[in-house]
Amino acid sequence: MFLTPEIITLSILNLLFVVFATIAFINSLKIVLKYDANATSSYQYALEKKSYLSATIIKFIFYVKIPLFIFFVYTLDDLSNILPGAMCAAGVVSATSYGTPLLFLKILNLYVFAFWIVLNDEDMKYEDQPYLKQKFLLFCVAYFLLIAEIIVESFMFNGMDINSVVDCCGAIFSTTSATYLAEILSLSPKILLSIFYGVFILLVLFYFLKNRYIYAVLNIVFVLIALITLIAFFGTYIYEQPTHHCPFCLLQRDYNYIGYFLYIILFVGTFFGFVIGIIDFQAKELRKRFNISLLYNTIYVALVTYYPIAYYLKNGVWL
Amino acid sequence: MIKLENVSKIYGKNIKALQDISLKFAEGELIILKGVSGSGKSTILSLIAGLSKPTFGEVIVDGKKISKLPDHFAASYRRDNIGIVFQKYNLIPELSVQENVLLPLFPLNLPREDMRQKAKKVLEMFSIEHKSSLMVRNLSGGEQQRVAISRANINDPKIILADEPTANLDEKLSREFIEILRELKSKNRTIVVATHDPLFFELDFVDKIVNIEHGKLL
Repeated sequence: MFLTPEIITLSILNLLFVVFATIAFINSLKIVLKYDANATSSYQYALEKKSYLSATIIKFIFYVKIPLFIFFVYTLDDLSNILPGAMCAAGVVSATSYGTPLLFLKILNLYVFAFWIVLNDEDMKYEDQPYLKQKFLLFCVAYFLLIAEIIVESFMFNGMDINSVVDCCGAIFSTTSATYLAEILSLSPKILLSIFYGVFILLVLFYFLKNRYIYAVLNIVFVLIALITLIAFFGTYIYEQPTHHCPFCLLQRDYNYIGYFLYIILFVGTFFGFVIGIIDFQAKELRKRFNISLLYNTIYVALVTYYPIAYYLKNGVWL
Repeated sequence: MIKLENVSKIYGKNIKALQDISLKFAEGELIILKGVSGSGKSTILSLIAGLSKPTFGEVIVDGKKISKLPDHFAASYRRDNIGIVFQKYNLIPELSVQENVLLPLFPLNLPREDMRQKAKKVLEMFSIEHKSSLMVRNLSGGEQQRVAISRANINDPKIILADEPTANLDEKLSREFIEILRELKSKNRTIVVATHDPLFFELDFVDKIVNIEHGKLL
């Protein structure tokens, strides 16, 4: 194991998260099992107080955890300067067997934590706190996801060896390697782009039809196809290299950190689209979230579409 | 209608401020909570105001369970329904009379002119309008109390709570305050006064006197 200021920062924060999240978890269990909104016993009043305390703790943990994902990605990118063979965060992720599961877990948690924040905000809008039990039940699940993430993250940092040569992104995201990813990357761009733009058109359609359930499902499909097309097709135009399929290099200065922008926009757009399918918002709030989702998804589509078109206009050929 | 049902309030581990109290006050009544210092009068006021929650039992105001409200809803309830006159007035000495009176209106985001009109009206009602631009620290005790009453009334609350309102006033000013209470009662406000001032106990317009000792009703 080696320590860099970024790893130390993440480790200290993780320790704090474990301590506070465990306090909140114990309280959450009690609330899920014993809370009764109509009871007026001292235990119930004590539980109410604990619910405010726990909700505040959880909210602040998640408020920090969400932007911390960007810092984590930055840390991976930074570590690529230390690990031999790594050209970007992709090499760091593949340096241990924990890297890829950790990344998927972190992305999942990002949505779960953000969802908890929205659920909590919605719950606090009403005097009778209609989602109180649900939000603490969700936290009980999120707690295990958080702990799992922290454990896997520790294993990943522990497992890194600066004396071992790791793969660069060119090898990991190659279309010729024998992986599922390579098979996806080998799919015809026409098929991938048809699905990508097709799903987006459906998103727009169901935005106008205001069918929140189908719109939410489409957002889940959209985030997946958006990531696949970014790696398989659009990324190559950002790099202006037909064989460069890395989802991490676009986080680097050479590409104006465009990756951070793209990923954040994609997250906001799909998250707000997804959340309206689960929480029963008031009409005004629902409309607002529909609008935010479509706006960000549209910006994403416009931005990724810009790169191949700009390339074609500049060079007169497609990659 | 204000209802306290089997309310107990325990501070810390075993300081029993209230013990299994049940009370019912009708709209428009003037109620005097009588008792020595530490008997639990102020605790009752803070429970009705939603400033604190009981350890057991329930506080219900106009059908709403105040004691079960989340804190930010309790604040809204207080802002919309309750006017409080504190023993030491709790004014901000560095602000003018008008500014002090305007304070409860700021969260409402009303137009400035509407706010000024409301302040003018309430200061006139309690005969302190002529001092509206003066700093509160330059006023006498009686004047400060009029400012406190004006502030408590600026939102037109249904319920007025007064905690030892005459403790810092001489008899003349105390009688003036009582006349203000009479006027407020005539406007159908529900008024709960916590006091041990004998002046209140023989008033002809008091509806109920509640005796409290060691957190229990006598």
